[in-house]
Amino acid sequence: MACISLSEVSRSYVSEAATSIVLDKANLDIPKGAFTAICGPSGSGKSTLLNMIGALDRPDSGTILIDGMDITTLPDSMLASFRNEKIGFVFQSFHLLPVLTATENVAWPLYFKAVPRRERMRIAQQKLTLVGLAEHANKMPGHLSGGQRQRVAIARALVCEPAIILADEPTANLDRNTAKDVINLMQTLNQEYGVTFIFATHDPLVISHAKQVVTLNEGKLIFLSSSEMKEAASHV
Amino acid sequence: MFDLIYLSSLNTLRNARRSAITIMSIAIGCAALASFGAFINFTFEGLRETTIRTQLGHMQIYAKNYWRDHITNPGSVLIYERENLEQILEQFDGISSVAHRLTFSGIGGTGQASVNMSVIGVDPARERDFTDFEIVVEGRNLRPGDTDLGVIGAELARGLDAKLGEWVTVMTTSLDGMINAVDFKIVGIVRTGSTEYDRVFVKVPISLAQQALDTKAVERVIVLLDNTDDLAWLRPKIETALATLDEKYETKQWDELAGFYEAVVSLYNGLFRIFTGIVAVVVMFSVANTMSMAVFERMGETGALRAIGAPQRTMVLMFLYEGLFIGILGGAGGVVLALTLSWIIDIIGGIPMPPPPSMSQGYQAFFLMTPEILASAFLISVVAALMSSIYPAWAASRTNIVEALQKSC
Repeated sequence: MACISLSEVSRSYVSEAATSIVLDKANLDIPKGAFTAICGPSGSGKSTLLNMIGALDRPDSGTILIDGMDITTLPDSMLASFRNEKIGFVFQSFHLLPVLTATENVAWPLYFKAVPRRERMRIAQQKLTLVGLAEHANKMPGHLSGGQRQRVAIARALVCEPAIILADEPTANLDRNTAKDVINLMQTLNQEYGVTFIFATHDPLVISHAKQVVTLNEGKLIFLSSSEMKEAASHV
Repeated sequence: MFDLIYLSSLNTLRNARRSAITIMSIAIGCAALASFGAFINFTFEGLRETTIRTQLGHMQIYAKNYWRDHITNPGSVLIYERENLEQILEQFDGISSVAHRLTFSGIGGTGQASVNMSVIGVDPARERDFTDFEIVVEGRNLRPGDTDLGVIGAELARGLDAKLGEWVTVMTTSLDGMINAVDFKIVGIVRTGSTEYDRVFVKVPISLAQQALDTKAVERVIVLLDNTDDLAWLRPKIETALATLDEKYETKQWDELAGFYEAVVSLYNGLFRIFTGIVAVVVMFSVANTMSMAVFERMGETGALRAIGAPQRTMVLMFLYEGLFIGILGGAGGVVLALTLSWIIDIIGGIPMPPPPSMSQGYQAFFLMTPEILASAFLISVVAALMSSIYPAWAASRTNIVEALQKSC
């Protein structure tokens, strides 16, 4: 059974000038343990798709099943706890809380699950060790490099042990070497711990590491073949 | 909850300059509120003590039905067994002085002019505590043993063009309806604190007043306490003791007789309420502005927190705690500022104030700070800050997550 299943999903944006169709009765199945890149040019709707999978946005029509649960029918009041338990997010701009240490940032999602503070901090330390930042646990985000901040964000995404991690342009704000380190870390987490990763990206580096690549074409979602994937990744 | 409060407190200090300005404006508002409250408190206490010590005492005792019959049949509602009554009263701890008075109105003059006079007959030996607030402008006050001497108000002296040593004749009606007159020599000119009262004020030995009304009785017995706060528990005890006497009495305490005091309290309380409203509005606008800026600047973080599982309620609480934190810091600063201001005013010997309406003397004003005043100014600041955070907090919790995430950290 697919971990993520989109069926007949449509989403459009209406403005005064025109109606822009992002997804048009799109279908997609992503299995558990996938390492999938959604690619396409800027403004093609990659982030919109990711936001809908992550229950941050709702489709105009269609169903989205996550672990068999139709999230399009969930009331707003339940979406927060759904996201907290099932989804981890990694953002392009990291979105760490600058007033908290790395450990406190990582521990914060557990607060919403009412995990006691001591336990939260212990788990957060573990996750920071996992992403190679044990030495920097007590540093503020302002004292970390871009790559280290993104690692903290990955540790935060992992802390509730979600089924899926959604990463929106995770390497866009990083230099090439740091981007490589970050994508290698994600690959390791995928291979060793079976965490499902889905990226919205137009970075060939990320695409070259993906097991599957999905492209958005006129509102439809299409898996690329191996040769198309090589072609897409050839710009690394 | 502790973690959320911790995060909110850290967020409050993020934009230190903006937070400091907001906290300072709350502190100034809170200090202004506390200082005004303390000034009013001082004014109330001053007026209360003046009213009590110059005219009313803490409590007055009359013959039964005095307030019903004293105009139509004054002779029937006088106190004839004064000695017994005063003996009982003098046994109470907490009573500093007991005096008796007999008053009447008349027309009097020095020969050139006649004016209305409000004559009060007193026993000078028992009135010493009451003269504390009477300011002798010329001459002296009454002394024990004086018989045909009197003091008059400064305004009355000016109206009569009377000097010390001149004789005044007062005509009135005795209790049995006969026209009667008494003479006294002016030994003092005084100010009572009230210009209106000064225009008619005449004080003579009670024997002279009794002679004018042709009676041996007194109109009222006045009780002065060591401490005004003791009145609440002493009055019932005194009334119980009075009930054992043959002659029947009724009592009134000072605030039942002081219409002017009540009017001033009512006026100042009204002003205080208006001032409180203005300060609260200023605080609310200041905090609302700061909180709105904070919400706008931290849109990205808000979106991220919502994305990682923060319910809307948590976001509301986070920003409310920030408002609360700002309010508490501002309120605490205001309390410190108010106490400092009060201390400085004590050091410099008070603020010179002009005479209040109908009063003849200005006074030095101080701030009478009490825990109640400081607590209410602090609470008003905190509640205003909290209330003004409600809308920004609500708006933050309703922010569209996707749009919020597009705002960079």
